[in-house]
Amino acid sequence: MWLDGLPPGDTDWDRFAASWPVPFGALADVVVAAWDETDPVLLELCRLRIATVLTYPAEQARRTGRAAAAGLDEAKLAALPSWPTSPRFDARERACLALAEQFVIDANGVTDELVADVTAHLGPSGCYAFVQALSVVETFQRACLTLGIESVPDVDDLTRPSPDESQEVPR
Amino acid sequence: MTPRIPLPSDELDASGLPDTSTLAPRLAAARDQLRRAAFRMRSVDAVTTELVRIRNARHQTCFF
Repeated sequence: MWLDGLPPGDTDWDRFAASWPVPFGALADVVVAAWDETDPVLLELCRLRIATVLTYPAEQARRTGRAAAAGLDEAKLAALPSWPTSPRFDARERACLALAEQFVIDANGVTDELVADVTAHLGPSGCYAFVQALSVVETFQRACLTLGIESVPDVDDLTRPSPDESQEVPR
Repeated sequence: MTPRIPLPSDELDASGLPDTSTLAPRLAAARDQLRRAAFRMRSVDAVTTELVRIRNARHQTCFF
């Protein structure tokens, strides 16, 4: 680990969160809210594509329990690199994956057509929540890459702040 | 700029942006809390702050 003095923990995330519980707890809350507001299979497919675009092998290897519980299996994940043509992916998933990839590669390149396609499948509020969730997943992965965080708990095991945490936590 | 999705109202917020407060409200509240928590982080030492800045620049392929 590039940063000395982190306390021990089950994962890299836990070690950072133990040092800065308030901001990491707040980020954990955002991630949980993103999963709560979005179809877990859609978000997991996009999360894995984002990890590919950002070159984050540890996140590519990780699986989200909520998506597995919702029926996402390894056979479909194996076909994810060929999502534009694979029959395993329906129009709704393709619309979301297309927007997700463009969003991460160059958000300014997101077109009206990409948004309209997702809106046609998810509705306006669903599209809004989906794009917000994409932003959260991208931010989370970029933050973890910057901090050298290789191991992260599943979304429902992310460290959360306790109610009595102070407002500012010096290290 | 015309919003790309139909919004519940034409109201603008204090920043002049479309009011999206009724869309994904839990997520919006959590993001607001994160912003507040980050803003309050004034006591990370200068060396750690600089190391994170440089690591992020490398990760983003920023050479400035």
